[in-house]
Amino acid sequence: MNVVTRGIRNALRSPVRSGAIIIMLAISIGLIVAMLVARASVNTKIDEVKSSTATTVTISPAGIRGGMGGGDPLTAEQISTITNTANIKSTVSTLTDQLGTDDTNLTPSLELGSFGQRQQRFEGGGNSSGTMPQPPADEGQSGASTSAQRTMPTPRTSITGTTDPNSAATNGSVLTITSGAMIDGKGDTTTALVGKSLAEKNSLSPGSTFTAYGKTFTVSGIYDAGNVFENNGLIMPLATLQNLTEQAGAVTSVIATVDSSDNVASTVSTLKTRLGDKADVTSQQEQAASSVSSLQSISTLATTGVIGATVAAAAIVLLTTTMIVRERRREIGVIKAIGGTNTKVIGQFITEAITLTVLGGIIGLTFGVLASGSITQSLVSNQATNNANSQQRGMGGPSGVIRGGARAVQENVRSVSATVKPETFFGAIGITILIAIIGSAVPAWLIARVRPAEVLRTE
Amino acid sequence: MSLTVTNLTKTFTTHGGEVHALHDVSFSVKTGEFASIIGKSGSGKSTLLSMLGALDIPTSGQIEVDDVDIAKLSAHNQTAYRSKKIGFVFQHYNLIPNLSALENVMLALEFGGAPSKDRKDRAAELLAEVGLEPDQQKRKPSRLSGGQQQRVSIARALANHPAVILADEPTGNLDSETGKKIFDLLHNLSRSENTTIIAVTHDLDIAGKTDRTFKLQDGKIVKA
Repeated sequence: MNVVTRGIRNALRSPVRSGAIIIMLAISIGLIVAMLVARASVNTKIDEVKSSTATTVTISPAGIRGGMGGGDPLTAEQISTITNTANIKSTVSTLTDQLGTDDTNLTPSLELGSFGQRQQRFEGGGNSSGTMPQPPADEGQSGASTSAQRTMPTPRTSITGTTDPNSAATNGSVLTITSGAMIDGKGDTTTALVGKSLAEKNSLSPGSTFTAYGKTFTVSGIYDAGNVFENNGLIMPLATLQNLTEQAGAVTSVIATVDSSDNVASTVSTLKTRLGDKADVTSQQEQAASSVSSLQSISTLATTGVIGATVAAAAIVLLTTTMIVRERRREIGVIKAIGGTNTKVIGQFITEAITLTVLGGIIGLTFGVLASGSITQSLVSNQATNNANSQQRGMGGPSGVIRGGARAVQENVRSVSATVKPETFFGAIGITILIAIIGSAVPAWLIARVRPAEVLRTE
Repeated sequence: MSLTVTNLTKTFTTHGGEVHALHDVSFSVKTGEFASIIGKSGSGKSTLLSMLGALDIPTSGQIEVDDVDIAKLSAHNQTAYRSKKIGFVFQHYNLIPNLSALENVMLALEFGGAPSKDRKDRAAELLAEVGLEPDQQKRKPSRLSGGQQQRVSIARALANHPAVILADEPTGNLDSETGKKIFDLLHNLSRSENTTIIAVTHDLDIAGKTDRTFKLQDGKIVKA
């Protein structure tokens, strides 16, 4: 029997106490692993979000915010200024509008609801008698109005004209076409993509027709944007919508892609200078920074958790081995008296501490790896929900301007998958060894101070 | 192996001032001699035993074993001295509780540098020599009687063929009959192994049967 064998046997000398210590260590080490995995996964997602959104800049008319704000659409001249700005690689232009019941034969799939009614109460000078003003005959024309009255407000159908229909995807990548085919956003055709719920409400399928702005449109495909509001909409080529609404060259937002993330800040600055107070210029970098702030909070929380759990585990080992040394002071004295060196005695106690830590580590690593997925998801979903709620309160209404931009980032931020990478696993093992070393250092010092003569003094 | 103590003094500093546990103690013991040290509590017996066993360092004086002053040895050499030249027998046996009788003896053999393949046989042989049956050798101390534990303690002390066995009240925790058997065992060993034994005891009957008796009083030898 050598030092190591004795150390291992001594670690299991009191099964109940050793079991309790191992369980406490396992919980701490499991927490360390789960937090390390959460931290690594969240950091990976932060890098991914930043890199995927790092090169886009959104330009929208100053003062516009979905259907809530004022301002004039961006003009063809301003679009030309944007596309001719240095470092801008490509642009996606979008014009949005809403269709009333007089503009289309489609029935919206959304109920207006009390919130929608409240949003429309100012339009046309509504009154409290239950008789509501008729919406303008052409809602795309500012200043046009009639004195006709209607009884109640009705929900509207949102319509998007875009050079790239994929820009309407809420996940920031490709729009999901559930049936039919994609349209060419750069064309000028009377074809359209119809949102899933709008199509169901009006029994539309690819090849079906409907009317809008007095024209007959053919359904090219049905899309699923992943949320109820977007699925009550139509997407058509930008030029088609511009012509039908008599807004040639006008757009309500431009998403410009910069050639390098390093040039985003300077491009934003140039655009702001050139467009002046006529446009709001925001980079997706800024939006991404805002959106990933919740993830950065989780990363910080996870780092704190790792440190806290490491300190707790080291304290458990330290206090345990200190208690063992104090209890076995006489035994240490005897071992030294019969010729045991400090090195051998300390080696035996360090082996004890390492044995307990390794056993706790094996259980803790297993527990941590198994639980890391759900712990990471729980942290991310809670934090992302809190962040989204606070951002929505601040927006003051639905944003149709940066559709597929910030919202896509938000959706992307929620989809964090916990992956145990080798470096995370080995990091956890390294921390476990560190715990054993820290936990053994003080007891080793105490052992070195035990004098063999004490064994005779206690006789 | 001769053991010569010359002008040995040990002084402890306490809050109440200096305490002279040993004062100018001198004596010598020849190889194979069985000597006893008697004295009242606090007379300095255990302190003297600590000095002889290199468990503590004297304030002044010399302890020469084969012309080597062990008080001047380095800590490392003192440990080597304890493992190879000295065997301890304690009043409360001081066996390692989670090791079997056999493993307790093997532990001393490990510290003495015995090859690992020889330890088990040598330990079994020593335990048999002190009268422990093979099934008793596998038991842990808690499952052995006081007399059996003291036999294990003696076997452990003999493990590395020590020059001197230092016994601190070896029969103090045993009934008179068992105590007599243990004394006889030590006595026979001193004869058969030609090992020097120095035993601290309160029992004057036992002290009377040893080759020489030193009486300690207030840290001084008053009778040799």
